[in-house]
This record gives sequence, C-alpha cells and structure tokens, in this order.
Amino acid sequence: MKLLECPINGIRPISEFTYGGEYRNMPNPDTCSDSEWAAYVHYRNGAPGLKKEWWYHTPSGTWFIAERNTMTDKVNRTYLLGQEEAK
Amino acid sequence: MQNGIFKSPIAFAQAPLKPINGIVNGMETAITMADKAIEASRYELLSICDVSALNRFGVKGPNAAEWLAAASLTLPEEKNSWTLQGKRELVLRLGSSEYLIEEPLNSQMVAQLNALPVNQSGVHKVIRNDASFIVSGKLATTLFSEVCAIDLSGDALEENRLVMTVIAGVSVTLLRQMLNGQSVYRIWCDGTFGPYLWKTLLGITEEHGGGAIGFSFYYEIN
Repeated sequence: MKLLECPINGIRPISEFTYGGEYRNMPNPDTCSDSEWAAYVHYRNGAPGLKKEWWYHTPSGTWFIAERNTMTDKVNRTYLLGQEEAK
Repeated sequence: MQNGIFKSPIAFAQAPLKPINGIVNGMETAITMADKAIEASRYELLSICDVSALNRFGVKGPNAAEWLAAASLTLPEEKNSWTLQGKRELVLRLGSSEYLIEEPLNSQMVAQLNALPVNQSGVHKVIRNDASFIVSGKLATTLFSEVCAIDLSGDALEENRLVMTVIAGVSVTLLRQMLNGQSVYRIWCDGTFGPYLWKTLLGITEEHGGGAIGFSFYYEIN
C-alpha cells in the first residue's frame, strides 16, 4: 500500500488523496512578458525529477504541497503552503 | 404552499427495516428498529444507529476559535481532537481552524450559536447536512477493519482524538466516545452519502449477527 503524509492528518493510504498538479511559481502578470506568461499557462515540464506538487486530502479537505521525485516516486516532505520553513 | 416532511437522510435506506418513526428536532427519524431485548443484544454485539437528527453547528476560519471562545465554549486544544462542553455537547476541532458542535436532546447551544451575529472577518458559518451514525458493540473494530482506510485497533482514537478518513470509499469524521456508560464510535459524513454508507455498514453488521437500533436506544424522547 502506498502511503502519503498529510501535514494535518498524518500518514494515510494514497487512496485518501487526490493529485492536484505541479506547483509552479506564477510570474507577475502585470510585469512579465507575453512569452513568459504563455510559457506559464501552456508549458509543462514532463522531465522526471524532484518536483513540488499539489495534493489534496479528500476526507479533511486539506490542500498541501508534496516534494516528490517523479523518477523514484519518493516523497521527500509535505507541508502546507506558506509553512515550508516550519517543516 | 406545500408542507414537506423533513426526513432523515437515511430514511429511504431504512424503510425496508420497517422502523417505528418519530419526530426528533423536526426530523422524521427511526425511533425503534426492533424489540428492546433484540436491540440490546445487537448493541452488545454490533449495532448501527442513525442519529442524523441531532442538531449541529459548524464554523470555520482563522478567527473561529476566538468567536467560539467569546460564546463561552471550551475548545479542544489539539488539532483533530474533541471535547465535551459541560459533559453534554460535543465540540470537534476539524483540522486547525474548523469546528463542529453537536448537541444532545434538550440542549439550546446550537440555537444560541445560530442567534449570534457573525460580523467579523475570518469567521464563516458552515451549513451542516450530515448523516450521522453511532456504531457500538464488541465487534465494532472488526467492522471497521473491513471498511476503514486506517487501522483503528491501535491508538488512533485515544485521548479524545478524531480522524478524518475514508470508510467504504466515503469521507467521514470518526471518533470514539463514552455514551450512556459505554464506549461507542461516532461517524459523520455528507448526508447525500448517508444511505450508501448505512446500507454498506448495516450489511456487514448483519453478517456478523448484529443489526440496526433506533434513536431512542441512546436518547430519551419526551
């Protein structure tokens, strides 16, 4: 059974979670160029490696960030957005 | 104008059991499922009871704890834990900043909270439409071992902890409390999933020799 640690609810089976896509820093739409904005909206980096991802713990409605190596499927850590330093 | 009957979210799933229904907090609910002696034996072995009719109040937000404290409620200090208010009303802390209050019969707490204005930022009332069950009996952990996503045989529910997990594919809030001197499990889920969860849990309960019991087994109705 695959397990994932929710920052609020602890370690749970992966069936309690939903993947929410890669977390990417949004460029400032007021100051970035059109090409930068187009790249943010349309491009995705499919190369395997360590990525930040949105995950959702369905029973509690908790969105959080997981840092996961998509090559090895190893999750380094999970944390609530904005509480990265606390982990 | 029609005057609809406010039924328990489980009412149609319970209909084949032919319960004796009554009105609790304005909701038609199954008061008695079987003879008292049969209900008592089910209670000891494995039973499930629909208590969706109990009044509830939900509130969330970064200032929710402050708002409830101003209303003189004692709140759980830990995330995902619960406490009793004056040994009657349940106060559940769901995650970090959401609270659920459930009162037994003959309590006015939910009405008092509903009457309070929410006129500050960071406090949001949450409309609750839960289906809620009580599971009791010495085979309760056997039941949960078949359908619950996490192992409840350990200390997951010790020290007034609650868990938000999945039972039979349905997101639920689950805790264990003493009720009328006995340790029982409490389950809350979205009301629309209630009939499915009721049928699933009741099916397993009956396989183990238990069954459904009525609301009046736990709560005295005037």
